[in-house]
Amino acid sequence: PVMSEHSERMKKFKNRGKDAAALRRQRVEVNIELRKAKKDEQILKRRSISIAAMEKSPSPGEDKNPVIPLSLGEIVEAVNGSNAELQLQATQATRKMLSRQKDPPLNQIIELGIIPRLVEFLTHADNAPLQFEAAWALTNIASGTSEHTRAVVEGGAIPAFISLLSSPHMHISEQAVWALGNIAGDGPPYRDALINCNVIPPLLALVSPVTPVGFLRNITWTLSNLCRNKNPYPPLDAVRKLLPVLICLLEHEDKEIISDSCWALSYLTDGSNDRIQIVVDTGILPRLVELMGSPQLIVMTPALRAVGNVVTGTDEQTQAAIDAGVLAVLPLLLRHSKPSIQKEAAWTLSNIAAGPCQQIQQLITCGLLPPLVELLAKGDFKAQKEAVWAVANFTTGGTVEQVVELVQSGVLKPLLNLLLAKDSKTILVVLDSISNLFLAAEKLGETERLCLMVEELGGLEKIEALQTHENNMVYRAALSIIEKYFSGEENPDLQPGTDQDGLYNFSVEKQDFDF
Amino acid sequence: QRVLLLVASDVDALCACKILQALFQCDHVQYTLVPVSGWQELETAFLEHKDQFKYFVFINCGANVDLLEILQPEEDTFFFVCDSHRPINVVNVYNETQIKLLVKQEDDLDVPAYDDIFRDEEDEEEDSENESDGSEPSDKRRRFEEVFMEVKLFFSSFRREILFDYEQYEYHGTSSAMVMFDLAWIMSKDLNDMLWWAIVGLTDQWVQDKITQMKYVTDIGILQRHVSRHNHRNEDEENSLSIDCMRIAFEYDLRLALYQHWSLYESLCNTSYTSANLKLWSVQGQKRLQEFLADMGLPLKQVKQKFNAMDIALKENLREMIEESANKFGMKDLRVQTFSIHFGFKNKFLASDIVYATASLMESIEKEGPETTNFIKALDSLSRGNLDKLHQGLDLAKKQLRAIQQTVASCICTNLVISQGPFLYCSLMEGTPDVKLFSKPVSLCLLSKYLLKSFVCSTKNKRCKLLPLVMAAPMDVEQGTVIMVGIPPETESSDKKNFFGRAFEKAADSTNSRTLHNHFDMSIIELKTEDRSKFLDALISLLS
Repeated sequence: PVMSEHSERMKKFKNRGKDAAALRRQRVEVNIELRKAKKDEQILKRRSISIAAMEKSPSPGEDKNPVIPLSLGEIVEAVNGSNAELQLQATQATRKMLSRQKDPPLNQIIELGIIPRLVEFLTHADNAPLQFEAAWALTNIASGTSEHTRAVVEGGAIPAFISLLSSPHMHISEQAVWALGNIAGDGPPYRDALINCNVIPPLLALVSPVTPVGFLRNITWTLSNLCRNKNPYPPLDAVRKLLPVLICLLEHEDKEIISDSCWALSYLTDGSNDRIQIVVDTGILPRLVELMGSPQLIVMTPALRAVGNVVTGTDEQTQAAIDAGVLAVLPLLLRHSKPSIQKEAAWTLSNIAAGPCQQIQQLITCGLLPPLVELLAKGDFKAQKEAVWAVANFTTGGTVEQVVELVQSGVLKPLLNLLLAKDSKTILVVLDSISNLFLAAEKLGETERLCLMVEELGGLEKIEALQTHENNMVYRAALSIIEKYFSGEENPDLQPGTDQDGLYNFSVEKQDFDF
Repeated sequence: QRVLLLVASDVDALCACKILQALFQCDHVQYTLVPVSGWQELETAFLEHKDQFKYFVFINCGANVDLLEILQPEEDTFFFVCDSHRPINVVNVYNETQIKLLVKQEDDLDVPAYDDIFRDEEDEEEDSENESDGSEPSDKRRRFEEVFMEVKLFFSSFRREILFDYEQYEYHGTSSAMVMFDLAWIMSKDLNDMLWWAIVGLTDQWVQDKITQMKYVTDIGILQRHVSRHNHRNEDEENSLSIDCMRIAFEYDLRLALYQHWSLYESLCNTSYTSANLKLWSVQGQKRLQEFLADMGLPLKQVKQKFNAMDIALKENLREMIEESANKFGMKDLRVQTFSIHFGFKNKFLASDIVYATASLMESIEKEGPETTNFIKALDSLSRGNLDKLHQGLDLAKKQLRAIQQTVASCICTNLVISQGPFLYCSLMEGTPDVKLFSKPVSLCLLSKYLLKSFVCSTKNKRCKLLPLVMAAPMDVEQGTVIMVGIPPETESSDKKNFFGRAFEKAADSTNSRTLHNHFDMSIIELKTEDRSKFLDALISLLS
């Protein structure tokens, strides 16, 4: 079983002649989930304020004409009645309740059964205030859980909102954009339902040079939600329609618009190679790489993620990213003060290192080895883990000369130190890298020399200690290295003895590749 | 580790200090004592000593401001704060590392929840950081009533409102001497002397009108249990009193100031309660006093001579007799629950006697020696070995009470108390007799309270009876400053909460008046005489 698991792991390396598609590691899904959960928690937290206080001190932004508080019963009556004045009052009262910070009564409003009426109000083109209030109220209901969103969709809101996109009143079409964003954000089924209802053309029509920035931000976010989520991915023809506009928005000067556009591209590249190819074909990579170097975290993060996704693709796709200059930006990001950026950058680097040796050579030429070694030595632990993967991929796919260069960059010491990591997975990858180094050393006939270096750096001690590791695979891998390279203390071949001239007998011909 | 004791100038603080000193002595803790009369002195004392000390004890000062903010202590410096001033600054309450508050567990501080005043702030920081930290955008967004900036504004106004409600009124918590005694008791180191100081501390709060009648009675009850625990043995052997023993006893005694060390007549005239109720500043009032004495059947000659020398037979049922007559004259509360102390055979004092004597020593205007002389003298007078100082204090106290009574009478007779709309106002002129005495905060407060009581009894204007009083007296003629104090209305159900601290602050801010909030009570300020009228105008419009 050990061997099969080992080969399972080996499959994850991008290596010559092996299953290339499986080599690049896709992002770990869990991280995103956690990130999302944290965000939700914060939004909930933000609501922690008492209703009493809310009502006591109206906010500065409050409209001039005060809304008469209505009971839920009165609201139902008014909404279902035919008096337009009362309809508006009741809808506005509903919207206000749904807009307050704490405990918006989503469930209660849904239970009133007024959603179909509110949807109907969306169609009252002669009564813009009513349309607006209804749109806002429905937006907020759709912002809740999937169940809440479903209540809105099942009330028939999708076609109504899509036609509102073309409303002559900008604030109404903006509210429709927002509502549709919430519906699309619920997940693939509603996202695709919107796409099938032809949401894209009228939505894209709203993007123009004169669209106000605030409105454009809403549009961009909604577009990004149309690109979001997998299983299944958004339909390819929809993606093809969205991409040109996203490319355009990526040139906007507002950083939030750029950020959300980058996120959209990161969703689109977070998939199979043919989906990556569609993005690469737009020629956007140079711009994305440029944005990776942005001082704005909200821009840098999604840009890095999108490019990181691209280099999980084919060698050609990776090459496109290299040609776009990714290797020039990565050193900065590997040294970034934020651990999450370090980690993401190291992950990207590890996938480039999984490429053919030409790409590894470019990586060396662009000076990636020093920041890699630095990160390995003193980066954030999660970033170190990614850096270890980079070393493993590098030593797997690199030529002997390239491996020698890696060792000369000082990789051995921090690599061996990571044998003390708590995480068995990381230890295994380190041991793998060490094995790869020995393979290279064997080819050069420098095994003894490497042995000595490992021993001098305290590595032997650590590897020996791992023979008592509780994880069976770790123990096997450590044992295998010890047996192969350190077992024969009696073995004269491995004893650094001297010959008659007093020269060390392991200093062999290939001085060029001196470790 | 040596400890620095910073002690405010009030009797309760002195009593707490005495208890702590005794505890320190027990445990061989070395300390340095620095009296501080206000914020300026406190800051100076801290700056002077912060390098030599790591532990600072604040007695009746420090709780109601953000100590870390104003003193900027090093991280290894610790503040122990035993202060009856309320509300306690929220930062002091929630700082868990450098500030240790000594508060009785039962004291309800009514502090706003941590989350309401601090967490939002952190959340907002998180949120705004979140906005720029590059995390993935939310998949759904609710549209709030306000845009984000306004939400922030709203939060800060919400927080301000909570803090405003909390900080609006000044009041006093349990006496620091009682808190300190509790500490001694918990450590099983409480002595009868300490108990007496706790009693004096509580009585000071009552004399200075700092706590409600309810709180006073409750705390008396607590102390009474300690008193019987400590003094039961002596009761069995009444005759075993020796010269150096002391005995504390619960009393239901007359609230006549210093009467056992004065003449009954003088005490009746100079006690706020009787003087105000009988309206002694008027001719009718004097007549009423005669009638009152006649009703009791006490010969004027006896009443006017020293209480000690009064006929023993008369003294026997004196308290009951006086109470009975007082009831007829509408003075239903002439007797109060209190404690007395016996030193040896002949020295007997009521707790309030000690309060008056000590307070007078502390604010004595007879200049002698350095500024701390008064403080040391007052502190010493609390030790039973220093009867001479105590008697000196009693004499000063009598002078002070007479001065207060005369000033009250003249203020009322010359209509110096005027209604300003939201409050009553009275200003003592330079040149008024004894005016120098009232440049001191405790004396001025006492005068204000007596004046307000008397005014309420004298006026027929029902609205005026419910008003608070602002009183001003010349402070430093050369510097052209006045001292001003605001006190809450004199009503029976008064909660003794004082809003003048905040009001003074605002009035000063809005008029750029040159004021100094130097006192630990925020409702006492100093200001430039020239700025007084604009300050008052602002105060009036603020409170209207």
